[in-house]
Amino acid sequence: MGRFDRNRGGFDGGEDFNLEQMEKETEEMLKMRFLDKKNAEFKATGGGFISLKVGDEEYKRVQVVRMFPFTDPDHYISIRTSDENSKEIGIIKDLKDVTKETAKLLTDQMNIRYFTPVITKIINIKDEYGYAYFDVVTDRGECRFTINMGGSSVVHLTETRILISDVDENRFEIPDVMALSTAERKKLDLFL
Amino acid sequence: MKKGIFSKAVLKLLEENGIKEDDIFAASPVDMNTECEYADGFVVVTLEKLAIITSPPDITEVRSFKGYMTKQTPLQKDEKQWALKLYELDKVEALKTELQVACSVLVADIDGITYRLIAFSNLYKREMHKLIRTFDRLSAELKSGDKKEGGPGGEFKKDEDSGLSKEERLEKIKTYGKEEEGEKNEYCPICGMMYPDRSRKVCPRCMDRKSIFFRVLGYFKPYRGRIAVMFTCYILTSLLNLVWPYLNGTILYDKVLAKNNEFLKQFGIEDSKYITALLMVVLTMLMTRVTLIFINMLQGVFAAKIVTGVVCDMKKSIFGNMGKLSISFFRSRQTGSLMTRVMSDADRVTGFFIDGCPYIFINGLMIIVSLVMMFSIKWQMTLMVIFIMPFVMLIGLKLRPKVWTQFGHRHRAERAVNSQVNDNLTGARVVKAFGQENRETNRFEKNNLRLRDAEMSIVGTQNLVRGSYSGIFEFLNISVWLIGVYLIMVAGEIELGVLITFVGYIGQLQGPINFFSRIFHWWADSMNSAQRMFEIIDSVPEIREAENPKTLEDPKGRIELKNVSFGYEVNRPVLKELNLEIKEGSMLGIVGRSGAGKTTLVNLISRMYDPQEGQILIDGTDIKDLSFKSLRRNVAMVSQETYIFMGTVEENIAYANPSASHADVIRAAKLASAHEFIMRMPDGYDTRIGSSGRELSGGEKQRISIARAILSNPKILILDEATASVDTETERDIQRSIAYLIKGRTTISIAHRLSTLKDADYLVVIDNGKITERGTHKELEELKGTYFKLMELQRKALSLRGVME
Repeated sequence: MGRFDRNRGGFDGGEDFNLEQMEKETEEMLKMRFLDKKNAEFKATGGGFISLKVGDEEYKRVQVVRMFPFTDPDHYISIRTSDENSKEIGIIKDLKDVTKETAKLLTDQMNIRYFTPVITKIINIKDEYGYAYFDVVTDRGECRFTINMGGSSVVHLTETRILISDVDENRFEIPDVMALSTAERKKLDLFL
Repeated sequence: MKKGIFSKAVLKLLEENGIKEDDIFAASPVDMNTECEYADGFVVVTLEKLAIITSPPDITEVRSFKGYMTKQTPLQKDEKQWALKLYELDKVEALKTELQVACSVLVADIDGITYRLIAFSNLYKREMHKLIRTFDRLSAELKSGDKKEGGPGGEFKKDEDSGLSKEERLEKIKTYGKEEEGEKNEYCPICGMMYPDRSRKVCPRCMDRKSIFFRVLGYFKPYRGRIAVMFTCYILTSLLNLVWPYLNGTILYDKVLAKNNEFLKQFGIEDSKYITALLMVVLTMLMTRVTLIFINMLQGVFAAKIVTGVVCDMKKSIFGNMGKLSISFFRSRQTGSLMTRVMSDADRVTGFFIDGCPYIFINGLMIIVSLVMMFSIKWQMTLMVIFIMPFVMLIGLKLRPKVWTQFGHRHRAERAVNSQVNDNLTGARVVKAFGQENRETNRFEKNNLRLRDAEMSIVGTQNLVRGSYSGIFEFLNISVWLIGVYLIMVAGEIELGVLITFVGYIGQLQGPINFFSRIFHWWADSMNSAQRMFEIIDSVPEIREAENPKTLEDPKGRIELKNVSFGYEVNRPVLKELNLEIKEGSMLGIVGRSGAGKTTLVNLISRMYDPQEGQILIDGTDIKDLSFKSLRRNVAMVSQETYIFMGTVEENIAYANPSASHADVIRAAKLASAHEFIMRMPDGYDTRIGSSGRELSGGEKQRISIARAILSNPKILILDEATASVDTETERDIQRSIAYLIKGRTTISIAHRLSTLKDADYLVVIDNGKITERGTHKELEELKGTYFKLMELQRKALSLRGVME
């Protein structure tokens, strides 16, 4: 709250202005800091989150955010402070750059953040008056949800990959439409 | 919180842990465990404890989300192994939900560690929000319990609570936590399903198509006379159509060409005058055709008149209600697509009513009468027809749905092509600047090919449908001919004319049968359109005028905000418990980074939205009690989004006050430093601007909107980044006019550039929805807080500019 200096790239105010300092700060702002097993130490906190020690900086809790959640989920992972105006601490370029244990810790965090049941089977889809009612089997059990037909509830991530958001914006994903049976695809035809 | 949401097992578990149902202040169901696996559970808040109850995850269970959820859907089953975790309420701090990409987690600080307490899907975010609000109030109350005033929870206290005892205050919080948020409206009264959209209280499953039908019929009422004429035309047409095969077959061949004297006698024609008879028949046939054409023309004219009238009326009521709707309606939907769709829906609905509905009766009648006629001619041949009919229907029912899906594909492909063209037109400069013309062409090619393929597959299926139809009818014709010829030549039972008449009737049947095979889809489709249309017509604006609204007599312009909380979405508060008083005639400056809630705050004052909690008062009256007219006349806003309507400069300036004189308009323009640039335009104040007219620069638009606000002469003037897009020199001019303008008015000014706020009497800094600093320039500078830093920053930026130059 109110830490203006943190949001605007570290102007601290007070000292006299000089161009050199400004340039240094700009550089600081533009720098990409990559984290890996050598320079960063991730640990599970008791509360279900993870903490980070990088150099002499310590963070009690960090957020793990994918830069390309759909197209490249295992690369370019941003580690951020956990406050509301979160700021990037560093980037993990590849999940392989960290130890297996750390990768697991991070993946667990991301699984919660990007919670999206994967639709494996379509039982029924019925559209009526601007809504479509889905009855599907997902990797997390059978789900029945409703989407709004008017908006952009069904997004084509690729030709065959579909992301569906229900009226409450709960997400469901079909990773490969072609993996569904013809009959199932037919039910989905309206959205293809 | 719903009553009786807990099952016996859960209640027992709670009781074992010392919580009685009556102790509960708030409860929210959840549908996941801590690890985001689907499970059942609850979060419960009592005076002393925070309890979290969960069942083990179970993927064999069916999860119902909104639209499937019923009031009866059990939230928990008794046989589950419930687990309960208890936390002491006074140890729990900063209880809040953290939004994930597509679900939420409840977190809290307990003994200095942040815990992920539980996760839940978006289905329960409202309930959880309520629980957290109750928790906040409760813990604030408990913390401030000993102290009289202030304390950490001071800001949560309400004025009206000051006289209450602690018990009464707790009771109040409990009532708040337990009150059901519009629960009775959330479920469809017929099927008990949760409405998919709370703000749209229609249950798509239970929507009665019949009632929609009759409602649409209502729009045709004013055209009763014309409709009667049309119906007469329809009936005449079908009668004449029925007569035609008879004329063309039996009479022509069997009576006249067969030289039937008896027949001639009936018409008073002498024997052997066959040529006269033939002429008369031909004439009658000609007359029939001419009459048919004439009636068709008449029918067309009347249909056109009715359709255009009805469509016009429908659009009028749609547009009329659109204007009344609150801003939130437009924010929450893809407005553009919805609106254009609704506009074309009106056409579609009317089309069905004119070209579909009447034909249900007429074509039904045609089929029945034709069949009766055919039966009376020769039942053996009619059986053939009846035998074939199911096949025809089958083709219709089997193949047509395919065409409709293909139409859907084509529609989407078309939309993709259109939106790309649109995209490239608006972004032409960027495309050219980056030299990406080829890529765009390729992208277009892809969409275009998809459209072509969609089009081709439609044509393919349509051909198939048409082919099989005519195939079947050809088959029917040939078999009837064969049977007929047999009956004529071998059995000698009928004559040639009868056969021709019969075949004529088969031809007549083709249209109506075809019609019936597509009417169901047509009907459903048009009812869908009608429903969308009525959705807009029936939408109730969220912000409504009070029943007996007050008007501001002799407005002063004092504004007060009391404990105002607001968020565009639940769980994402933009303003939190804001308290602010703006004295009459003073100027308040609001500072804060973008997204801090500044614009939201002024939107609340002009009542674009209503606060979720707290009140806003103008001269001591809650703005919810004020009439719209009174409120809007006294509050004018110049916002960062300027809008220029189609029309002249003068019309645009006098938008809020169309009766303003030329002199008033010029004065307002001068005050807004707009006069000079207006006079440099060729047509002066009569220059046409807006979407079809002359393009104005950002600064020019802004000055026109300032002039517009000046002319409406409000008691309260809101300037939301009003000078953000003008250059420094113009800003100085406008500053000068604003300095003049704010005299005798209450002004609220939002600005990034602090120099804009130099005339402000009082300043507040908003950050994260809260006022973090308040005071005069001097006070804030001395505070050395955010404001001071901002000042420093801008000073540096200015000196930097000096260095660079």
